[in-house]
Amino acid sequence: MEEIDPVGLAVPFFILAIVLELLLGRLGWAKARYEPKDTFTSLAMGLGSSVAGLATAGVIFAASLWVYQHRLFDIPMTAVWAWVLIFLLEDKTYYWFHRLSHERRFWWASHVNHHTSQHYNLSTALRQTWTGGVAGTWLLWLPLSLIGFPPAMVAIQKGISLVYQFWIHTEAIGRMPRWFEAVFNTPSHHRVHHARNPRYLDRNYAGILIIWDRMFGTFQSELESEPCRYGVVKNLATFNPLRVAFHEWAAIGRDLMRAKSLREAGLYVFGAPGWSPDGSRETSHQIRARWAAGQVPDPLSPAEAEATVPRPGAHSESPA
Amino acid sequence: MDKAFLIQFTGSMAAVAVLVGLAAWARLGRPAPGLDEARARDLLAEDFPDWRIDQLWIAREGRGAIARSGACALVLIQVGDGYAARRLSWCQASSAMFRNGQLDIRLGEVAAPRAVLAFDNWPPKDLAA
Repeated sequence: MEEIDPVGLAVPFFILAIVLELLLGRLGWAKARYEPKDTFTSLAMGLGSSVAGLATAGVIFAASLWVYQHRLFDIPMTAVWAWVLIFLLEDKTYYWFHRLSHERRFWWASHVNHHTSQHYNLSTALRQTWTGGVAGTWLLWLPLSLIGFPPAMVAIQKGISLVYQFWIHTEAIGRMPRWFEAVFNTPSHHRVHHARNPRYLDRNYAGILIIWDRMFGTFQSELESEPCRYGVVKNLATFNPLRVAFHEWAAIGRDLMRAKSLREAGLYVFGAPGWSPDGSRETSHQIRARWAAGQVPDPLSPAEAEATVPRPGAHSESPA
Repeated sequence: MDKAFLIQFTGSMAAVAVLVGLAAWARLGRPAPGLDEARARDLLAEDFPDWRIDQLWIAREGRGAIARSGACALVLIQVGDGYAARRLSWCQASSAMFRNGQLDIRLGEVAAPRAVLAFDNWPPKDLAA
């Protein structure tokens, strides 16, 4: 059976949607900000990501097959319940993958490029990693094959999730109906995720369902009183895709060269992004804490206020 | 190399070119009137919220700025229609290469290799002791 590739099938839709967003923005019918060099970088990163993905696709597929051969159950691809189950399990896996990718520098180095644009439009959705295969976050999906979901089924569900996440990278859509905002990841929720305002740092990791953020204490609603400022804590001063793809890896290498102990080296690589032995840099957690300490209580609704205050134990150390 | 891959890759590059062209045609960038002092201070405060600014110099046409904060220099670099900010020692900023009205500060980061800012003179004549 030929495997269905939702992302590949959706590429023409991606292109048409970007054209539509540009035209609506040009006509003044929708909010859309595009900077040509930024758009080039986003699209080049998307194209490069597809090519880079080919290099590790074989290894990932072989690993999935090997794990599947040792599966615990036989789960049929044709059963509706199986698709419902994998939808939920894959989405929860995505949440933790995404959180790990923000909270630990090794994986942030791979993911950061997706956040480097100071714009938030549909082209930003395509600004994807070139080093995801090397970073090994795909390992997090292997337990699904161990449970018994066929690797093709896992791959299809991952693709569906990625396609879903394309349309939420826009300022053209304000808010969806209340029930939808309560359950699903939306443009509003994901704008918060891409913002560098201290209040918004490391919030809303969801893929399709926002319920995971609500469950695990990382939800933050978008506030009209605080417009999103997009980008990373230290914005990049370049549009060069190579620099965008590898800058954090290079920074890790540089830090490792000056590490004074194994512990320091370990924390430079696997600590929170922004960690430094002398505290000369700040993690997202520290930025949020400093911001919270200087805050005058906002006239927010109790629900908004509750979602605003950093919670003890809810780590939030990574930039944007 | 696989022929189908080459066709797909070439087609994708063409699509990228068309979309970037459309983005340029649409002129949807943020309005960037150039920095004035108030805007520069606001932008610096986003990246360095607790830093005191002793002196501030805006680059020609408002395309960047340098602030002195004690022994540090805070630099604002225009990137497209946005900005990036970096901190370095004042010594490094004041001794950076200045030629033909361009101050070229090597930042030494892969993510921000250099800041090139236009000034009439550098180091500034109104530099406080």
